[in-house]
Amino acid sequence: MTAALLERTIALIGSLIVGGTATLQLRNEWPVGGLAADVTKLLLGLMILGCVLALLASLDILGAFAS
Amino acid sequence: MAVSAKARSSAFLERASVEARFHDVDPVYAETRDIRTLGFVLFLLADCILFSSFIFAYLYLRTSAPVWPPVVDGKQIEHLDVAFGAMNSIVLFGSGVTMHFALESWKNLKKAAFNFWIVLTIALGLGFLSGQAHEYLSAPMTWTGSSFGASFFTLTGLHGFHVFAGVVFLTVLAIQANRGVYTGSKYFGLVAGTLYWHFVDVIWVLLFFLFYLW
Repeated sequence: MTAALLERTIALIGSLIVGGTATLQLRNEWPVGGLAADVTKLLLGLMILGCVLALLASLDILGAFAS
Repeated sequence: MAVSAKARSSAFLERASVEARFHDVDPVYAETRDIRTLGFVLFLLADCILFSSFIFAYLYLRTSAPVWPPVVDGKQIEHLDVAFGAMNSIVLFGSGVTMHFALESWKNLKKAAFNFWIVLTIALGLGFLSGQAHEYLSAPMTWTGSSFGASFFTLTGLHGFHVFAGVVFLTVLAIQANRGVYTGSKYFGLVAGTLYWHFVDVIWVLLFFLFYLW
């Protein structure tokens, strides 16, 4: 197994775990009101987007892999 | 048996003490909490503008270049290692999740869980910084050699400084929380720390896309 493949595998598994957990956190945070909660919802949503990007990168759908 | 009863009694008293603090609502704190939150959100917006300036400079350089990454000394600079970037990004995003768990643990009066999650967050933040250091050492360009290198090192350096500041911030928060500065009803510092850490995560989402995926 090459280093790049190992990194892609870690990124793939990690993005699924982190993205899934962040989605659950966003769902739990959704009914909460107030400025801090609203900003948290926005930031969690963008972080989930980041996980999707990392997932697509790990699957070689986005970006150009070095090796 | 007697020891067990004593331990139970001690645990009950500790729990009662924590719950008493939870219901100890300071009216001045309650009045100023929202204003403090607004002030901190405005600080994050100001930071957003700082990053926006550098990001727009990068976009200008990138869109005005005939080829990207640019050609230096007759040779095009290599793309960054996407696999490593994706892995390091997940380390940082994971720290955002653990910080959220830390705050929720504090809200639910679970101090041991709070300590576990905030220490894990700090460790992941340091892990991300180590990854960035590795990226810098193995980068196919230098700061002064090209507009790509200048943009990359400036923006990721600025972000890395924010992550480092966040690690210091969270360390201070962990120490303060264990010294009794925050209670079940008064924990604005922890909310601010969580918002800051999520903000740092989200800035990286953009930088990861711009430098590694686009």
